[in-house]
Amino acid sequence: MMINDKEEKIYTVSKLNKYIKKLFENDFNLQDIWTLGEISNFKLHSSGHMYFVLKDKESQIKCVMFRGNNCTLRFMPGDGMKVKVRGDVSVYEKRGEYQLYAKEIIEAGKGELYLAFEKLKEKLKGEGLFSEEIKKKLPLIPQNIAVITSPTGAAIRDVLTISLRRFPNLSILVVPSLVQGAFAAQEIAKKIDFLNRFFKYLDFIIIGRGGGSLEELWAFNEEILARSIYRSKIPIVSAVGHETDFTISDFVADLRSPTPSAAAEMTIPDKNSLINNLSLLRSKITRAFKRSFELNGEKFSSISRNLRYQRPENKINQYYQYIDEFSARLSSRIKHRIELYGERIKKDCQRLDSLNPWAIIERGYSICRKIPGREIIKRLNQINVGTKIEVIISDGRIFSKVEKKEVVSD
Amino acid sequence: MKNKKKIEDIPFEEYLRKLEKIVQQLEEGELTLDESVKTYEEGINISKICLEKLNKTKKKIEQLVIEGEEKYSIKPFSEKEGEDTINEF
Repeated sequence: MMINDKEEKIYTVSKLNKYIKKLFENDFNLQDIWTLGEISNFKLHSSGHMYFVLKDKESQIKCVMFRGNNCTLRFMPGDGMKVKVRGDVSVYEKRGEYQLYAKEIIEAGKGELYLAFEKLKEKLKGEGLFSEEIKKKLPLIPQNIAVITSPTGAAIRDVLTISLRRFPNLSILVVPSLVQGAFAAQEIAKKIDFLNRFFKYLDFIIIGRGGGSLEELWAFNEEILARSIYRSKIPIVSAVGHETDFTISDFVADLRSPTPSAAAEMTIPDKNSLINNLSLLRSKITRAFKRSFELNGEKFSSISRNLRYQRPENKINQYYQYIDEFSARLSSRIKHRIELYGERIKKDCQRLDSLNPWAIIERGYSICRKIPGREIIKRLNQINVGTKIEVIISDGRIFSKVEKKEVVSD
Repeated sequence: MKNKKKIEDIPFEEYLRKLEKIVQQLEEGELTLDESVKTYEEGINISKICLEKLNKTKKKIEQLVIEGEEKYSIKPFSEKEGEDTINEF
């Protein structure tokens, strides 16, 4: 190092650092620049300021982000994160260290679109557009559906093919629309509104397109479309092809699916399996019915015993009518059993007949009753000589007076 | 029929639930003969309604052509023509 005595100028340390700092700050190449690197040694100080080191494979730089700047961060930085940092390079005079004063940090690989997405997402979420309670239910058997998408892409072909394979007699209304570019969101939104005005009967609307880059899918992240989905009285199925991330439309829609094909799979039932299920239920019903018929047959005979004085024939006829109606459907084994019960009931009726007092009188027995009171006379002590009595026989009554009492001894 | 909802207005899934309930009732075997006959008849009837519902719609693939704020027409869908008919408002 050369030292010129005459022109020697002595700096204080602070003056030197101040001078160096000015050099940094006057260099536009160091002001408001983006730097890409990985965060390490991240510390969030209790003051709210953030301190960390940004590094790549060969080098590193100290960074600070003051509270006033980091309060707008949409994520919490951490060690190992790849980030892009916007800020100024300057000198911390107290230590004589240069560092990067960060004003903004975004996760690497996610650009402005991502930021706009995050912002809109938070906003609409705050307004309740994503809330689960307002999601409309789709009918199990859709009959009329509409698909808003490009009429030429693979998306419409997939939806049509899969839908009709699953449910061959379905009515599908294709609503052609742009699905990318500056006007796409507005156009889809208008078509949703249009369908809500003139096609209220639709079971639901699928909106979507095949996969693409974030930019290509952008229409489905726009507020105008989100609002129209939210407004729609007809349920909306979002079917935008993408693998990992969601679109705003996905969040607002009543149902979201990862691709147009998946939308068809999720919303259109498989008719064959529905029919199989129905016939399974039907045979279950028939089986259970037959069994309950058997069970009831057992109850039947005991009930009939209690019916003695209640004209059981009526009931029996009713059951016979049912039996006639249904015997055709029943197996011969069951039918046989029912006939058996019928036989039993007939026998019960005959037994009933034999207990009927009129049948006994018919055979020559009679009944004596006291005239006032109609008390049936069973013992001599119920009457005196002169008591008026009536004798009931099969075809009428005899009125008479007691003339004599006589005890019959064995 | 009088004050009941129309069959068309009752969704398929509601009938399916009814059918499942009927299976359950019959399988429990607590019904009297009269009741089980009635329930069985109802079950068979509902399964017919369900089948009718599945077959009711006709296959149709159509395309909406919007011709103005309030005007539109519907024509059969054809993939080739689709491209020219993207309508802008």
